[in-house]
Amino acid sequence: MAGRNDSGASGKKSSDITNDLQIFNTENLQSNMKVIYYSRTFLSIIGGVIAGILGFTGLTGFIFYFLIMAITSVGLMAKAKFSVQSYFDSWNRILLDGFLGGLMSFVLFWTFAYDIVHIF
Amino acid sequence: MAEDLVLDTAIRDWVLIPLSVVMVLIGILRYFVSKLMRSSQIPDPKIVKEGQVIVRARNLRAGANFIPSKSFRARRVYFSNEENGLLHVPKGQAQNAQAQMFSDPNMAMDMMKKNLSMIIPQTLTFAWVNFFFSGFVAAKIPFPLTQRFRSMLQNGIDLSTVDVSYVSSRSWYFLNLFGLRGLFSLILGEENATDDTQRMMQMGGFGFDPSKSLGAEKDSLDIVQHEWALPKFEQRAETVLKNLVS
Amino acid sequence: MVTKTEETELNRLENQVDNGGGGAWEYLCLVKKLKVRRSDKVLKHGLSILNDPKRRSALGPEVWTLYEQVATAAMDCHCLDVAQDCIKVLQKKFPESKRVGRLEGILLEAKGSWAEAEKAYSSLLEDNPLDPVLHKRRVAIAKAQGNFPGAIEWLNKYLEIFMADHDAWRELAEIYVSLQMYKQAAFCYEELILSQPTVPLYHLAYADVLYTLGGLDNLQTAKKYYASTIDLTGGKNTKALFGICLCSSATAQLTKGRNKEDKESLDLQYLAGAALEKNYKQRAPDKLSVLSSALKSLKIS
Repeated sequence: MAGRNDSGASGKKSSDITNDLQIFNTENLQSNMKVIYYSRTFLSIIGGVIAGILGFTGLTGFIFYFLIMAITSVGLMAKAKFSVQSYFDSWNRILLDGFLGGLMSFVLFWTFAYDIVHIF
Repeated sequence: MAEDLVLDTAIRDWVLIPLSVVMVLIGILRYFVSKLMRSSQIPDPKIVKEGQVIVRARNLRAGANFIPSKSFRARRVYFSNEENGLLHVPKGQAQNAQAQMFSDPNMAMDMMKKNLSMIIPQTLTFAWVNFFFSGFVAAKIPFPLTQRFRSMLQNGIDLSTVDVSYVSSRSWYFLNLFGLRGLFSLILGEENATDDTQRMMQMGGFGFDPSKSLGAEKDSLDIVQHEWALPKFEQRAETVLKNLVS
Repeated sequence: MVTKTEETELNRLENQVDNGGGGAWEYLCLVKKLKVRRSDKVLKHGLSILNDPKRRSALGPEVWTLYEQVATAAMDCHCLDVAQDCIKVLQKKFPESKRVGRLEGILLEAKGSWAEAEKAYSSLLEDNPLDPVLHKRRVAIAKAQGNFPGAIEWLNKYLEIFMADHDAWRELAEIYVSLQMYKQAAFCYEELILSQPTVPLYHLAYADVLYTLGGLDNLQTAKKYYASTIDLTGGKNTKALFGICLCSSATAQLTKGRNKEDKESLDLQYLAGAALEKNYKQRAPDKLSVLSSALKSLKIS
């Protein structure tokens, strides 16, 4: 996660005085979202492999996924220096974007690693 | 789980791993093939212009608050008046565009190429999986599922007593098909990421219909409330300067 | 858009290549990818590769794009013989290519034979009426000949199709300003602000045009845009600070005798003056007296 992409640092300022007026540079916003998407996919694949190797089954695995996603969110927030409003237009972006997309990859790699290590 | 099945390690070595590896390789191959097949046809001036009009109208909508309201209104009229506005599509022409699209062989050819590059490898892989690996229980998902998932996960096996969490090879293929998308987007760049889903959507509507998007853009431009943002900037500039001076 | 990492990478490579550390090809590739204008460097290092048969053959088919790149750079540096040689090589290899035809047109242009270049572009446009580069070249020809109305006409024709091309809008705005057609220029700058609302330079240029146009409304609007420039640059733009001062004093003169409704905007004016004074104190203390007398004449300090 660390230093995945520093283009996230080029996000646009937000308002300090007026809350209703916000300026975002669309290009930078998109690049930030791309960074989120990448880190989520990457971590869900890695997390899937880890969960499989550790032999999590059932609910434990899904809890592990939630945990990973929560850690990702915290990491992304730390990368945005906890001022999410400066880089994204809403909190949901950092918390939820790419959540379901990553789930499919997670399940696949979880199953794959689990089968290879534990089933056979 | 008392009735745990014992799976042969040969299944792992000769079914599970090869299947996944082949899926990844085919995905990569498909990416490069579609890159090669992408033809550089000469675009139709009308389509290019419509695309540009849409971009400009979208800019207008996004940046509306940054220009004085007089300028904004002038532009809005320019875009969306009923006589000769850029976004206005005459009624008769809308249907025409569709018909024209079908009659244009180049367009159909291009669409075919795009779709073929998706369908052919998928059918081939599916046939290959079916032929070689049909009837294997290839994997076991590490979480329990209800009976309803049986048809999804045990496609190709007719055993109602086997636990649902066992996955047949054919279903493992489908799992790979959906789950590897994330991996592809990581290794091939993001342009591949949404390709499949986008193409699926395109197939439904048979391509992009410019007149429809022009109309949609016009509608959303019509309802934009113009609120000039610049007066607020004076206050913001004041605070900026106050911080600077003090 | 060149991001920060790419820029540092470019500069690092440039240093390395300049000091004979190798990596010239990587440098040239990066220059091409980022579309930056370093023609002298490209010419120097590109030629050194092209003149070395071993390195040239190592590139394989990539060598032709290198020829193109070097030819363009050579024309930018006015080394017309080098460009001619490169284009000749390319022409031998791709006799029918439109891309080479375009290069030839540019070479004709660089030599100053406008009519021939124009003819070359027109014939190329017949085959491919939607090539934006060719349209832009025609504008460049008109501009190079000093034919500004012609350039405006071509640009308008181009913008009719490619109306989302902000570089063309910017060019048009600059031509209008140079011809003192400020109303039209204002329109172009509005268009630029719409397409990139966060670029302070457009706000500044728009404000300049409005200020030049004059009139109470325009002056007040200009002041707002100077304010937005200050906000977007964090108060670092001296021109915008001066603009605020000038606008305020001009509006004050126009509204003299009438009721002062915008009392609060005086704050901004004094703040701008103070920021300017602070700036001058730091950077050019000897010019401070000039500044304060200028501000005094505007009745600000």
